[in-house]
Order: sequence, then C-alpha cells, then structure tokens
Amino acid sequence: MAAAAARRRRRVPYLLLLPGLIYLVIFYLVPLISLGRMALQSGNLQAGYELTWEWDNFLQVFTTYRPQLLRSLGYSVGATLITLALGYPLAYAIAFRGGRWKNLFLVLLLMPFLVPFLLRTLAWRIILADQGVVVETFKAIGILPDADGRLLATGWAVVAGLVYAFLPFMTLPIYVALEKIDRSLLEAAGDLYSKPSTAFIKVTWPLSLSGVISGTLLTAIPAAGDYINSQLLGSPAQTMMGNVVESKFLSIVDYPSAAAISITLMIAIVVAVVLYVRSVGTEELIA
Amino acid sequence: MATGSGTDKDGVPAVELEGLTKRFFEFIAVEDVNLTIDDGHFFALLGPSGCGKTTTLRMIGGFEEPTSGVIRLHGEDVTGFKPYQRPVNTVFQSYALFPHLTIFENIAFGLRRQGIDDAEVTKRVGAVLELVQLTGRDRQRPRQLSGGQQQRVAVARALVNHPRVLLLDEPLGALDLKLRKEMQIELKRIQQEVGITFIHVTHDQEEAMTMADTIAVMHGGRIERMGGATEIYEDPRTEFVAGFLGASNMMGGRLEGQRVTVVGGIVIHITAAAAANRSGAVHLGVRPEKIRLHAPNDESAAPNRLPGKVTDASFIGVSTHYLIENPDLGELAVVVQNLDDRRFALGEEVVAAWQPQHTFVVSR
Repeated sequence: MAAAAARRRRRVPYLLLLPGLIYLVIFYLVPLISLGRMALQSGNLQAGYELTWEWDNFLQVFTTYRPQLLRSLGYSVGATLITLALGYPLAYAIAFRGGRWKNLFLVLLLMPFLVPFLLRTLAWRIILADQGVVVETFKAIGILPDADGRLLATGWAVVAGLVYAFLPFMTLPIYVALEKIDRSLLEAAGDLYSKPSTAFIKVTWPLSLSGVISGTLLTAIPAAGDYINSQLLGSPAQTMMGNVVESKFLSIVDYPSAAAISITLMIAIVVAVVLYVRSVGTEELIA
Repeated sequence: MATGSGTDKDGVPAVELEGLTKRFFEFIAVEDVNLTIDDGHFFALLGPSGCGKTTTLRMIGGFEEPTSGVIRLHGEDVTGFKPYQRPVNTVFQSYALFPHLTIFENIAFGLRRQGIDDAEVTKRVGAVLELVQLTGRDRQRPRQLSGGQQQRVAVARALVNHPRVLLLDEPLGALDLKLRKEMQIELKRIQQEVGITFIHVTHDQEEAMTMADTIAVMHGGRIERMGGATEIYEDPRTEFVAGFLGASNMMGGRLEGQRVTVVGGIVIHITAAAAANRSGAVHLGVRPEKIRLHAPNDESAAPNRLPGKVTDASFIGVSTHYLIENPDLGELAVVVQNLDDRRFALGEEVVAAWQPQHTFVVSR
C-alpha cells in the first residue's frame, strides 16, 4: 500500500509539469520546428512552398543582410550598456537611499507600462523632433551641428528609444538583488577597514551581479529583435533584423527568407548568451 | 566612573566613555554613560532588550554617531571616526559573513584591505583558524558551515586583524544551549590567550557572569551597576539589578540602627556596612538560595526568621524550589540544594531563615 502511494507521489511533479510542457510543445517546439523547415524551403505564395533544402536562405543573411545583423547586435549591446549605466545607479539609489519612498519610486519606474509601448515610442518622436527642445538645446551646446543636425532618423534615436523601453527591465532585477543584500555585511566591511567605495567593489557589486546578469539578458535579448524603435525613430538607414523580418514576412511575403533570418538571429543570441553566462559563472545566477 | 580590574599594558585604558549619549528623535537610547575599561579585560554590557547596550557597543565601533559625549580608544579620541578608521573589530550578532567569499577570504578580508602581503596573510589566517579550531575549512563557503562554526569564523575574522579591542554583539544568541555553553568557555579561553580587551553585549546574566571580569548592568539607557560578578550579585544596590541578576525576595521596612522592622512587626537584621548612612524607610532583599527552611521553633535557625506555609515545592534535581506564604509579607521564594533528605511538604508550617550578611539594601 505504501509502495503504491510512494509511486503516486513521485509522479505528481511530472503531472504538475504536464500542462506547462504541453503548452510549450504546442506553442513553442512545434512552431520552432516549423520555422526551421520553412527556412529551408523556396517558392512563393502563389506557387506554394517546397522543402528544397535551400541553404542559400541562410547564406543571404550573412551577405545581403549583414548590415542589419550587425546593427541589431550593435544597437542591442549599446542600448544594454547605456541602460546598465543608468539603471544600476537608479536601482542603488532606490535600494539604499529610498527610505520611506522606496515603493513610490518603484511605482514611478513602472508607471510608463500603463501606456502602450507603441504610444511611448511615438512620444519619443515628438521629444526628439527636429525643432524640439532637445535638438535645439543640443545645437546650442554644440553637440549637434547647427545646419542640419537632427536626432530622429539616426542610430542615436533608436538606441535612446531602446534604452527608455528597457530601463525598468534592467533596473528592477538589480534593485531586487541589491535589496536582498544584508546591510550588516556592509557594516562588517566597514569594520574590516573598507572605505565605502571599497565596500561597494568588494561586497555590494559581487552580490548584485545576479541582478545585473538578469537585467542585461532581459534587455539585450529583446533589444536585438526589436524593430518598432527602428521603424518609428529611425530611417531606412537604421533598419535592424527585426525590420527585415517584418517586411519579408508581411510585405514581401517571402516566408523562407524571413524564417532563415529569424533563426539566424535566434542562434546568434543564444550563442552570445551562453558565452556571457559562462564567463560570469552560473553560480551568480542563483546567488 | 568605576574601573575594572585587570592588567594594564601601558597604563592607558583600552576604552573610555565620557558622558556618552545617543538620542533618536525623542527616544533617549543611551544617557550619560561613563566608563573606563582596562587593557586585556573581559567586559560585559548586560541588560534587557532596549536598555541601550547594543547602541553603546555600536557607538564604540563607529556604527552609530553619538549625540554627545566622547569615546577614547587607548587615549585617542575617536568620537568622529568611521568604523574603518578605528582599531577595533566587531563580531556581529548575525555573524555577517560574506556569502560570496570562501572562509579563507572572509577571514583575510580585513588583512587585504590593510595591504598586507599574501605570505603574511596566509600565515595569519592559518594561525587564527587553528585558534578557533577550524583548520581545513578555508576553501568552504559560509553556507556550508553550521551555526557554531560560522560563529567561530566571525570571531576569527575579527581577531586576525589584531585589534586592540574586540566588540561582540550578542554573538551566542543563535546557538543552542549546549553549544552556547561551549562557546562561552571557548571565547574566554581565546580572550585570555590573545590577551586583548573584549567588550561583550548580552542579555543573559549567566553568560555575563561566566565570562566577564567586569559587568555593567544597563537599564533605560544608563549603567545602573558595575563591578565583578560576585560583587554585583551579592550587593545589587538597586531593585532592578536585584531582579535581573538572579532572583530576590524584596520587602520594605523602617531602619533603626541595624534592625529593620518590616510589615507584620518582624525584625530583620542587617550588617553595619549595609546600614551605613541609612535610616528611615528602606527596601531590603534576600536571595532565595540564601534562605534555609526549618521546622517552627527550631532554635538553630539563623537570626532573620519569617514564618510561613509551604504553598509550592518543585523538585528540580539539583535543588528544590519552594514558595513560602507569609501572612504579612506575601510569597517568599526559597531555593534549597538537595543535600539532606529533609523535604518540606505542601501546607507544612515552616520558618524561613537567613543570616544578616545575606540581606542587601537597595535604593528604589
């Protein structure tokens, strides 16, 4: 009797996993395989698609669309670094100096999410507009040339949009990691002859690393696949892989090509993430 | 200002606190604390929660800024100094071991900040690991160690820096009874071996009496009584100390000469020393273990006698705890060591008696 009960108990975790697994298989694995198949096909919407093992689709990604590929990765890395530079001090200030207003600050940080992403990005169109305050100020200071200086339709606008969009994704994980740090550890560091800056480098930063990794992954991965910011704030000269996929898929209706680009981008991101996580050490992820 | 006895290395006291006060808005946590702690001394700050002992310790360590007063370490005024500028180290209540570092690096932390070279660091860390009996665990992480072991690492991490004063903030609180008793002896041994000044904060009076050379009992932000364990136990001088350190039976009466007449007309005798400079209304106390029980009319009983009836008798093993009800004075607690077979039964009429020198006078 006890043996049967034990067997049933062992199965329970798997049964609990089953709904989630089924969901993942249907809505993730199957589409992924389908995408893979699609990438190796050729044809068009009228004649139909045939699995012809068209590896040329992948080759195209690295030749024709190399600028977009590099730009996607480049903008993503750039936006991630800037977001980190802004998000870490923000998280630190809220965690260590927030006091009674901690929750208020967190709410302020998250409030933009009440507004749809598209509208927020459109708002940036207005902020960075050619005769707007920002551009005029930059011209006055000398950062932009007086004659034809603009921010819209430049890479800077796209990166700025990306930074703004992903700032909460970077800040919150870092805040959580910082919040978890036992304050007596910092007192101990001071007791052991560390100036505040040393205590930060030796204690706070290493213990916040798991938050930094989460934040950077949550920013870099979606940013690499983004196309809205490029579409609304950039020009055709700033197109990213996402834009190419969008046009291939929706306008030109060249599914195999779109699929090949998507898969390439996905593999590129996975490889980058694996290298990144390994170099920092997975122990930090579960710290 | 009272001093503690102990060997002076160079005549300068290890710690001097003058008029130390800490106020948090309206709440006065520490009020006008004055004390001198000699070098190489084991000093305890004892008191209930909220008495200000931890705040005082934190001010010595530099983690709290005093509202007023002076803190001197070996003659140097360190009142404005940050913790990393003071030659003291702290063992925190929660140990505060760095979870992301190995035991070795935890202990070496302070040494590295002082720029000590690798060879010397290795040597010193090895020595202190041996002192706390944790050799071989240097590559492990804090989470792999038990509570008692973590506590010893915390002590090692502080001691390795050779501080002139070691501050301990209720370091044994999280340990179980047996381990706590072991660590009390361990810490005392370490202190005597290393010879530096220990300032130990605790709410456990037994712990303080076991380990410390001098105890300062704090109450409501002030030091109420300071001295060696025996001295403050037998002569508590205030009702609070009498009740906090062990138990006492308290009674009020009128003093004339060396005789105190208490409620009910009974006369309690006190020593000349206790009666000195006192007259009129006084409050007396006597410890339960100083009282012996006799059958009524037993002439061998000590001079201070209170008749009563046994209302409770609990056999504890080492001793029997009695409650004796006296019609005028109420309940008396009596602790009798189980030496002879004479046990007193519930309801029995007895006489509780004690010697005059065991009566202490307190000021309210």
